[in-house]
Amino acid sequence: MGENLKIISQHFDDPQARHLDHYETHGGYRMARKSSSMAPGDIHGEVKASNLRGRGGAGFPTGVKWGFVPKDAETVYLVVNADESEPGTFKDRHILFWNPHMLLEGMIIAARSLGVRNAYIYIRGEMQREFRVLQDAVDQAYAKGYLGEGIFGSDFDLDITICRGLGAYICGEETALLSSLEGGRGWPRLKPPFPAVKGLWGQPTIVNNVETIANLPWILEHGGQAFADLGVGRSGGLRLVSVCGHVNNPGVYELPLTVTGNDLIEMCGGMREGKAVKGIIPGGVSMPVLTADELDVPFEFDALQNDERIREVETAPGVKFDLGGGRTLRTMAGSGGVVVMDETTDITKAAWRILHFFADESCGQCTPCREGTGWLASVAHRVAFGHGRAGDVELMASIADGIAGNTICALGDAAAWPTLAFLTKFRGEFEDKVKNSHDAAPAGAAGGAP
Amino acid sequence: MTAKQLTPEIEAWIEQRWSRFPEGAAGKALTLGVLYQAQETFGHVDTEVIDIVADRLGVTAAHVRGVATFYTMINARDVGRYHLQVCTNIGCMLDGAYELFDRCKARLGVQNKGTTADGNVTLSEVECLAACGYGPVAQIAERGKPEIPLYFEHLDEKKIDAILDALEAGNVPTELGR
Ligand SMILES: Cc1cc2nc3c(=O)[nH]c(=O)nc-3n(C[C@H](O)[C@H](O)[C@H](O)COP(=O)(O)O)c2cc1C
Ligand code: SF4
Ligand code: FES
Repeated sequence: MGENLKIISQHFDDPQARHLDHYETHGGYRMARKSSSMAPGDIHGEVKASNLRGRGGAGFPTGVKWGFVPKDAETVYLVVNADESEPGTFKDRHILFWNPHMLLEGMIIAARSLGVRNAYIYIRGEMQREFRVLQDAVDQAYAKGYLGEGIFGSDFDLDITICRGLGAYICGEETALLSSLEGGRGWPRLKPPFPAVKGLWGQPTIVNNVETIANLPWILEHGGQAFADLGVGRSGGLRLVSVCGHVNNPGVYELPLTVTGNDLIEMCGGMREGKAVKGIIPGGVSMPVLTADELDVPFEFDALQNDERIREVETAPGVKFDLGGGRTLRTMAGSGGVVVMDETTDITKAAWRILHFFADESCGQCTPCREGTGWLASVAHRVAFGHGRAGDVELMASIADGIAGNTICALGDAAAWPTLAFLTKFRGEFEDKVKNSHDAAPAGAAGGAP
Repeated sequence: MTAKQLTPEIEAWIEQRWSRFPEGAAGKALTLGVLYQAQETFGHVDTEVIDIVADRLGVTAAHVRGVATFYTMINARDVGRYHLQVCTNIGCMLDGAYELFDRCKARLGVQNKGTTADGNVTLSEVECLAACGYGPVAQIAERGKPEIPLYFEHLDEKKIDAILDALEAGNVPTELGR
């Protein structure tokens, strides 16, 4: 397979590609057709062999997740998570806009394997243009007999329904998403039970990210082993990475999992104005930041978690943060949303903006998250904007530590982890801000320009 | 004034979708979709709209109110004819979004979530619009024109001024958006 293989992004930027006929001239829907008469277990076997891991954030092996659906389940639902709203992440929107049929084809394959009759796509409310493109694609597929009853002339029936969100980051979290799909407030639910066992309307439900599902046609065509071979270790395939911030050519890139942070900067045309890197967030703002000397590690799920060249996150100098069970935290590949910050970036302001986001988006169900994120954002604000008080750095760390692991869903961790990482790796910047703080706090500082 | 009614389009939409959901679950499941379309029709979602939606879907008004207040895209009051939404999240912030947002505030004479006195433009600071590599980014929506929401990318002072000029003159500069 050539160096520049693209699985999903090959026809990004080609406005024709989103039409069904065009998609078919490139071989589209052949694998969906094939799957409609395949034994479900054979499809699942290929997915397991592929080492495909979830592209939504957690990197969980897709084949394993599918295996959690009880064998005797009568009704199983498939839900595609198209809520993409993790700051720094903008790759699913490209798939929805440029290559919607690849997602639909992947859904047909997944539905066949899982025994699904009704599948849903939950698309973020703000994505109006993508919604129209996707709805068009669904309508085209129905018109062709690729969706509905007896698809491709087989005995397999499948309906796909698009449901739109209405503006709430938390609805990207899978259990909140299910609450929202059922028509309620986007409140996360305690796990277990996991959705694969008890999800939508109490039935087994597989929730997968857009990019995860879009990989399935390729896997079926070339075999799970070929996909695994493209990857490294326990992670198969390529990956879409969205890069923003201070590089010359930000955008969406489909890359091998061996690519490191430094490679990525080079592929993006280097740093703007030749400046030096200060920090990179590797997988959406929920993930711990990396410093310039940690960028020789591949942006691969296991490497980012375990590679010893990445410093462990601390709650205080020399005290390692406990991720549970004595495990430590370095960083994670998350959503593939990469934020590059150059040497001129004020890290304290970046941290404040991220915490301001989480405080806004906390659904309010659990006290540590509701109170903690708001408090963190306000302390981070006063530190960043020159009104920090003695002890604020320690205070931020202790609030974050109090949130982590003590909430219903992972939004709490998503706020706590980056906080602790910023404090671990850029502690001096926060301390300097506090040291040089002025006393009188001006009114309405929240709108101040960073 | 005649009582508000769901449009035939919304009724058809409900009909078409109802069977996609399990027995007894459809009314609740369609709450978000109907609320959003009702807002497009009536401009905002007040108690009257909540009652109409609840009635039609066979769910309680308390449920519909709970949903309406949870989601940020549902407005209890009218927004301006144009809704200018500027992302200031991390990617756009690194590209100078706050400076542009301040410029919008100054030119329109409003604060965040404020509407100009003539009801023409509402300005909002919004979270990441999933276009972070092309920042700063804004989205503009026009009331009654569901096809309008457009993204405006790589904003700078010149571009934002051109956008504000166009909105003042009563049109969305679609040539600048995508
Ligand atoms: C706060 C929060 C927000 C999330 N947002 C998204 C999202 O926007 N899109 C997404 O695919 N997954 C998101 N996730 C991850 C989902 O919960 C879930 O793990 C994922 O959709 C599973 O699909 P995958 O296994 O294919 O990755 C989010 C998780 C959390 C905790
Ligand atoms: S952790 Fe936060 S977002 Fe998640 S359920 Fe609790 S309050 Fe809601
Ligand atoms: S940060 Fe502005 S679009 Fe993502």
